[in-house]
Amino acid sequence: MTNPLATVIIVAALLVAAYSLIATLRSRPMDWSHLVALGVLEVLLAGQAVVAGTELAGGAGPRHPATFIGYLAGIMVIPVLGAAWGRAERSRWGPGVLVVAGLTIAVMIVRMQQLWEGTGV
Amino acid sequence: MSETGSGPGRILVAVYGVFALAATSRAGVQIATKFHEAPLAYGLSAFAAVIYILATVALARSSRWVAVIACTIEFVGVLAIGTYSLVSASSFPDATVWSGYGQGYGYVPLVLPVLGLVWLRRTSRTPTTEPAAH
Repeated sequence: MTNPLATVIIVAALLVAAYSLIATLRSRPMDWSHLVALGVLEVLLAGQAVVAGTELAGGAGPRHPATFIGYLAGIMVIPVLGAAWGRAERSRWGPGVLVVAGLTIAVMIVRMQQLWEGTGV
Repeated sequence: MSETGSGPGRILVAVYGVFALAATSRAGVQIATKFHEAPLAYGLSAFAAVIYILATVALARSSRWVAVIACTIEFVGVLAIGTYSLVSASSFPDATVWSGYGQGYGYVPLVLPVLGLVWLRRTSRTPTTEPAAH
């Protein structure tokens, strides 16, 4: 798990959360721009899965990788579920769901970095 | 009565969904890799996961009674396990979602059932009975 990519994902996830929060505060429902933002996030997460998966296969990373692999796979469903759940709501609370999704991804990446480096248990 | 999974309830269900995912993954890893180390703690971990899944689905589908029961069990659970994990730390070598009142998860597990119950109460009133603001 490379730190530059992790940092890019954290920043992107926080930007998605902030951008969605603006829509919630302005009483706007989700639109195509939110879906594009989530798509970018999903591509970054898929890239991370490939990079970290390759590194794990090469023997790097945590000694007991079960939890890390769980995060690596689990994090990829968040943008998809967030998009589906948020889009079904045609009010300000639709993008509100994406605020939760963005913050969750940022927290999960921080946790994954801890798991990778073996700190914080 | 209004839907419990729409409006602000969308966000509540989203947060519950995150915790259902987190608790299920955590319990799954614990039980698969080291159940024999602390069967009580990991059993409770799995129990918490089931409660979160139940609450998420019930709130999303407006199954009020199931949601009330799940949120109540969750609140009692976080208080009981939180206290027990502090008193008897040796029984909890590896934290559950509810250990230390959910401090590993920013105390969200402590706040969530309260928000859930408040939300269920608010949405149980019909909007027409509310006094019109003039």
